[in-house]
This record gives sequence, structure tokens and C-alpha cells, in this order.
Amino acid sequence: MPVARPLGRGVARSSLSLLGGAALALAAVLGGGCIGKIGDPQGSGSGPDLQTQVETSRFPRLTHLQWENTVQDLLHLPAPSGLSASFTGDPLGGIFDDNEASLLVTPGLWADYQLAAEELSAQVTNDAALLAGLLPAGAPTDPAARALAFIEQVGKHAYRRPLTAAEVIRYQALFAQGKDVVDGPDDFARGVRLTLQAFLQSPYFVYRVEANRKAGEDGNIPLSAHEIATKLSYLLWNTMPDDALFTAAEGGALDTPEGILAEATRLLEDDRARATVAWFHEQLYQYDHYDDLNKDPTKFPTFSPALGADLKTEARLFIEDVVFAQGGGIREILTSRTSFVNDKLAAIYGLPGAFGGEFTRVDLDPKQRSGFLTHLGFLASNATKLEQHSIHRGVFINRRVLCAQLPDPPNNVPPLPPPTASQTNRERVDKHTGKGTCGASCHGTLINPAGFAFEHYDAIGQYQTEEKGFPIDSADTYPLGGKSITYQDAIEFDALIAESDQVHECYARSWLEYGYGRAHDDRDRDTIKELGKASRKGTKALILALTQTAAFRTRAPQKGTP
Amino acid sequence: MNRRHFLRGVAGVAVALPFLETFAPRRARAAGPPPFAVFVRQANGVAQQTDDEPERFWPSALGPLTQASLAAETDRAVSVLADHADRLILVRGVGFAFPGNGCGHSGGGNQCLTAAQVSDTPSGAGSLSMGESIDNRIARELQPAGVEPLTLYAGKMAGYLDEVLSYRGAKLLRAAERNPFVAYTKLFGASAMDAEALARLKAARTSVNDLVRGEMKALMARTDLSKGDRDRLDLHFQSIRDLEVGMACNLTPMEVAAMDAIQGGVALSDNVQTITRMQMDLLALAFSCGVVRAATLQIGDGNDSTEYTINGQKQYSYHWISHRIQGDGDTGAPIDNAPELHHEIDKIHGNLFKYLLDKLASYPLPTGTLLDSGVAVWTNDLANKYHSYDDIPYVLAGSCNGLLKTGQYLDAGGVNNNKMWNTVGAAVGCTKDGKTPMDDFGDPSLAPGFIPAMMT
Repeated sequence: MPVARPLGRGVARSSLSLLGGAALALAAVLGGGCIGKIGDPQGSGSGPDLQTQVETSRFPRLTHLQWENTVQDLLHLPAPSGLSASFTGDPLGGIFDDNEASLLVTPGLWADYQLAAEELSAQVTNDAALLAGLLPAGAPTDPAARALAFIEQVGKHAYRRPLTAAEVIRYQALFAQGKDVVDGPDDFARGVRLTLQAFLQSPYFVYRVEANRKAGEDGNIPLSAHEIATKLSYLLWNTMPDDALFTAAEGGALDTPEGILAEATRLLEDDRARATVAWFHEQLYQYDHYDDLNKDPTKFPTFSPALGADLKTEARLFIEDVVFAQGGGIREILTSRTSFVNDKLAAIYGLPGAFGGEFTRVDLDPKQRSGFLTHLGFLASNATKLEQHSIHRGVFINRRVLCAQLPDPPNNVPPLPPPTASQTNRERVDKHTGKGTCGASCHGTLINPAGFAFEHYDAIGQYQTEEKGFPIDSADTYPLGGKSITYQDAIEFDALIAESDQVHECYARSWLEYGYGRAHDDRDRDTIKELGKASRKGTKALILALTQTAAFRTRAPQKGTP
Repeated sequence: MNRRHFLRGVAGVAVALPFLETFAPRRARAAGPPPFAVFVRQANGVAQQTDDEPERFWPSALGPLTQASLAAETDRAVSVLADHADRLILVRGVGFAFPGNGCGHSGGGNQCLTAAQVSDTPSGAGSLSMGESIDNRIARELQPAGVEPLTLYAGKMAGYLDEVLSYRGAKLLRAAERNPFVAYTKLFGASAMDAEALARLKAARTSVNDLVRGEMKALMARTDLSKGDRDRLDLHFQSIRDLEVGMACNLTPMEVAAMDAIQGGVALSDNVQTITRMQMDLLALAFSCGVVRAATLQIGDGNDSTEYTINGQKQYSYHWISHRIQGDGDTGAPIDNAPELHHEIDKIHGNLFKYLLDKLASYPLPTGTLLDSGVAVWTNDLANKYHSYDDIPYVLAGSCNGLLKTGQYLDAGGVNNNKMWNTVGAAVGCTKDGKTPMDDFGDPSLAPGFIPAMMT
């Protein structure tokens, strides 16, 4: 099975800030247009072409995860090669690692590809079983015919379409050079070794090339059946199409939305789809922030930075359970009472009973916990080493869960005055930024109310009923869908937002960006609304809906440049 | 598969060389490598004088620098560089020309090495530079085609603002390598090969490259490509290089083993200084071997959140300290002694820079040392605790073979940083027309020119 996660650095690609730049300042906030609903996307205009297709690259490059999975499947390797771990990285391009704008073949990465191709081709041709796996069943023994069978078989899978006659001839010529320039057990193996190096460095391998040029009646260009098969496979599996998908493409089964849906449904039942769903949420919810958490050892003696790995495991198991066992989606992610704990996490949750090192599915106290935002990983990674950080929690929820449009924080804002002995965290934050202050526009109406809902959870996510001897106040109001919702605590807050169009459309927007490998755009507005409706039927339904849009089946014509 | 065997050399495959050359890496070549520039970047500004805090960074007086004068002011961060006083140029009075676009850190990173405008879109933390960076300019002009500036990183990447420094051009941010072992093996790791094996490798690569170039050319010949896709394919095409034979350059086995051992911990706050020093070992080796002429080393992410250990105690996020509060935003309880902690962090960075200078100075050349043949720059993408764009700190060391006037602390008088990079770029050898020293780096709207006081 392909790898579930990148073998490389595995850093979530995020644009969400923990208010990174300097302060969330008030002047910019007041004038900066805090919008309590999914804001107008940046970088696009409105006008006559509002409903036209978003122009996309015809050469989206494989991510390093996709490269790793693809070479494993192409060469039938028993395990991931691990070579992508040392590939030149890609700069951030939004939340997800597959934004086409960031995926370039640079000199460093080209050299990485070259070395990897040389390494893999040597490995495969020195292993009789792997070498045999590159030939179709019943391949001829005549050397030239055998070479041709290899070229057509592996070439088709590497290019994700059948090779043209001219391409076959070029590869036959290259194959013939192999015996003179590379080592191997015999001439056939040498030919394979050199040819594999070219397959793995070909632009048709490293890019998911969309070559079709003929426009349809609406002016957009339908993708070819093989291009749709490729798009389906990378969306759902992060790897190349399997034989059944090739067969579907070649039999015309992908020529209709219904045919695409049937194949997408099949792919979704495979374990590789679970890995894709896991990786999406890992990036969206920033599990990498669970690493290296520094908490005050005196106040939290049970917490150590090593718990970060356990927090990630909890998050991964939870999402898989919600999506695949419960058949749920963002609603359940925000409201499910189940989770997975070992002995260390059970202690922090305050769960009774005996737990060991293995993770166990548990039902958390429904009065204290409700979904992902009340789990330890989110709470502890959005806190200082001593106390909860309401602002960071609020910003995360506004940006990643609700897609509220918050401006980035400006500089030069004076700090809070020191806390007093009789002041809770909420009181201090509220006094500085809350309603009635000049920070009211963003902090007072959006950030603080969302963050304050989680005041019951301390710096490591433990449930607390009081702070400095004062009862916790987690009640507030938040503008949602043109109304104000009022809640007493995180349980109620989660339940209210989980039913909102805004949350479902936000989740759908993130899936669109990940699934289509690009930033969203004004022109996606209607698509996002439709996907938001699908989200109410669960994550799997949403993913299937992603394959049913015009944006999935066609591409906009590019304005050519000579 | 064992990644130790997954090696290559940007300089090409190393061939067997005489013993001394191969196994005495710190013995620089007799002729000396060409001038180079390396840019080391600290984040979050420095603890220099503001309206409400005293000077803790610069010396007390402008003018000549001596070891004694620097060493005497132990309350100033630059005092840790006293050993190199005669090689230093400290420059204040230089700033960024353009405002940020919604995120001070991002806008600072955008302009730090580019002197270019900040993008309208994307904005905020995603803003990008609208021009190339000085390391790219040097590499583009002075390095062979397809050899990029060395782009290194130390510390964690938090996913908010990661690498910010090196730009191929407008909105084309270059990724940085944060794992010293990977960087080393990519640069120097190829094992020695005999002539016959080398010839076969060269032939194999040429055959493959020819086929791939043919495919690329066919794609690029299409007339229905967008500019973005055309640029994308062109960068790919230019990246394909045939095999070149370079020198063998090596760190010691012990140094390489240490890089290998720390691979799993490159993101940890506790390791950031160790990783920085390893990357500096690599930089010095790369310059000594003439592999690159320009490099960057970014320490910490865009709004560096490293938790430094000071006086035996792990401190709050450096970003929090730089704002003097427990928080990345505008709220948080004050941090006790934050100005002093910021000063201590400045000294940590000063000592790291000193390590680089020591390392570069350890490579002897017929006239001076490797350090004297190039220039090393310690700078920041912000000025002070207010994260201002004025008075960005510039600490340079090395004269580029006598072209820069060292041993002085000067005030440039409020110029834009394009003049700083014109001065450095010209000293390294960049020209604007093949013969006239480059003076027009950065945004076209900026007045061209140098900082004359830096030049001999």
C-alpha cells in the first residue's frame, strides 16, 4: 500500500496564522473588513466572466507524497522508496501541499529526480522479481519484442496514457543504448534500467499533463478519459490510476458524470482513500503544531513534549472513525463524543478506568467534550505554556473552520496590562480587545467569542470549572448566517456551528482547494455552495461531489503566449 | 533503501584527486575561490534603541572599529564580534522602501534581500516579493546556468511563514533546505569514481537528458500555453544539466556523522544553534570549493518562534519576546525582562555569525583568508521590537578582496536597502552591462547607487 503520509518533512502547509506577524491590531481591524461569513476570495474580480472556469496549469507537478506513491505503484515496490524524504522542498502555497502554483521543477529538484531515477532503476533491474513485474503476462522472449512489451506496458503507466508511436520509437532507441552505458545482469536489464531513468524524468511523469486542446460547446476544454482517470486517482489516492481505472478510461466509462461517479465510489472504498482523507485533515488542522509543545512542568507535571505523537495519533484515529466508520463529515468532526486515547491521554481527559499504551476508542463526557475542537491536540497547541490562549483558538476557528475573513495582524500594538490577581484570562483579554474597545470589529465580534467558548480547557486541554477561584465564563454570541447565535460553552457552540451553511461551505472550500490543487476563486462560489450541501451528507459524499463538477471534467482554455 | 547512497554533487561527480586535495578539505585552492556573498538572516528585529528602550545592539560611537573598542562594550550585542573588528562593517541608516501588505513579517521578508515591492496579491502572511533577491542576482550572473544559490535554513517551519528570503523573480520564492545532512550529501556526497565509470555515467545521463529535452521542447513549442505554464516549463528545461566534473570537497567523517545523527531533530528549538553551525560548516566548504558564489541562511521561521534556552531556562517563543508579551498577536501578559532576553538572543545570533566568520577565516589563501575574499552579512528582516522597516541592522564581514572598506561603523543616512545590495553585488562582481558595476538592483522606482562609505 502506498504511504499514508509524506516521507519528507511532513510539514503542514498552512496559511493560517497563529497571528504570526505582530499584533492583531485594532486600526487595521476596524478598517480591515472583518467578515463573519465566508469572505470574498482574494485575487479575483467580478464581472462578465464570473461564472467561467478558473484557468489552471496544464502541468501540475506531482507532490512529493504523490511521487513516492506513484513510483511504488509503477515499479511494484514492496514499500515506499523513501527517496522523496530528501527532495528539495516546495515553498508554502496556501494550506495544502498540492497547490499547483508552488510545484515547480527547480534545478535542485530536477537533480533529485535524476538521482532517484538512477537509484530506483538500479534497484529494480538487480531484482529478478521486480524486473519480471514490469512485463505483461506472457511477454515474448524475443529481445526486441520483449523490449517493446516493456516500453508499452511501463510507458503507459508512467505517462498515465498509452505512448504514441513516435514515443515508442524514441524509447526503443534509448533502450538499445542501455547495454553500453549502464550496468545490469543482462542486456535486457540494462535496457530497462536506462529506459526507466527516462520514464521517471519525463515531463509526462513528473507532471499530470493535460494536453487535450479541443474546446467543447461551452468554450471549456473537456479532459480526455485518461486525464480524468489521472485526476480521479490523484484526488482520491494521491497516486497513479490502477488497471481498472485505465480500463474504465479506455472503455468510455469516464465519458459521463455517472461513470466518473461509479469509479470514484470504487476508489473511495480503498485504503488509499483513507490515507488521502487523513492527510487532508492533517494539513487543515495543523497536526504538526503538536510537536515540541512546551508546557510548564510545575503546573502540568503529566505533560511532556513527547505527548505530541500521541495527540497526532488521537487526531488521525478520530478523523478516520468519523469519516469511514460513522460515515460522517464536518458536522460529526465538530460534535462526535468519541475519541481514541491511551493511558497518558486518558489521564488528561480524566477518564475513569484502566488504559494501556494502546489506543482505545472511548466515549468522552458529553458535558465536557464535543468533537475535534475539544480534543487535547487543538487545545494544547493553541495555548501558552501556562494557560489557554483564547485569541489563538478564536483565530484558528474563524479561519479554518468558519472561513471568516480576518485581516492579518498589523504591528505596533501596545501589550495588555499585567493581569491582576482578581482577573481571569477572559477578563483580561476582553478588557483589551473586546466589545466597546477599538478592537471590537474583529476581536470583539469574531475572534474572542469563538475563543472564549473554550475557556473551560486549560493549557493542555484539561477541563476546568474555575480559574483563580472564579467560575469559568464561556458564554458568548457569534454572528452566523446573518443572525447571532448565543451559547453557554463549547458544547453548544460546536453544535450550533456544525449545522450552519457557513461551516459546511468552509469545509467544502478546503476540499475544493485540496482536491483541485489550487486556491479557490470567486468563480467557484456556486460550486462551493453545492459542495456545501453535499458536505451535509458526510465527507465521502463531499469527495464524490468534487468529481461531479464541470471544474473537475473540463479546463478553461489558456490564453496562449507565443 | 539506504539514503546514504542517495548522493550527488551539485558541482558534479567528484573524481579521484591527489590525496591532499581530497582529504584536506580546509586547504583552499592555491588560486583562491572567486568572491562570494552569504546572507544570514535573524528575525523579529534586534534590541536596538527605540523611544522607550536603550541601545543594546550597536556600538556607542560611529567610526573606526577596533577589537578593544568593540570588546569593551559588553552591553552591546555586536561586542561578541570583537575578534573580527578589522574585518567588520556595521551599517545603520538603511531601510526598506515599501510598506508591507497586511503582515509586517511577511513584508519584511519580501524586501529583505530583494529591495522590491510587496505583492498586492497574495497579501497578508502570504505576500510575496515582486523581484529577485540579491543572492539570485549574484548566482544568475556569476554561476553557471542551472546552478542555484545555496539556500539553507535552520529551525522549525511552523507553516505560517517559513522560508522568506530567496526569490528567483517576482513571486517566485525559493525553497530552503533545513537538513544539513541532506544539503551536504546533495552538494558533496558523490563518491569518487574512476574514469571509465564516469564516462559511462556521463553517456547514460546524456542519453536520458536528450530524450527528456526533446519532450520538453515539443511541449514548449505549443502556442496554446499560458505564460505561467511557459515559465514553468522553461525553468524545468533550464534545470536539466549534463554531467560536469568537479573537485572533491568533504567535511570530516565526524562532522558528517553528526549531521546524520541530528536529522530527526532539525525542527527542534533546542537544536537550532547546532543546525545553524552545521549549515555554516557547509557554507564555508561550498565557498572554499567554489561551488556557489551566493548563499542564504535563514535562522528561524518568518516570525521566528524558536524557544531559546537562556541562563539555563527555556524561554518563551522568540516572537513573543520580541513583542514583549506572551502572544503572537496583540494580547498576552508581559514577559519579564523581555528587552534583556531579546538582547541575549541578539548575542546568540552574533555568536553564531562569529562561528561563520571563524570558519571562513580558517581557510587560508595566499593573501589572507577565505573570509577576506568574500563578504558575509548578518541582517534582519525587521528593525526592532516595533518591527519597523527603518534602521534595519546590517553587519558585514569581509572585504571582497579589498573592495569593501572594513573596520568601521557607519550611518548610511536613511537610504533604501537597494543601495546596500548594489554595493555588495558590485563588490562580488555583478555588473549591469557586462562591465559597469551593478547599481540598479531592486525595484526600478528606487534611485540607483551605492553606499559610498562602504567602498574603498
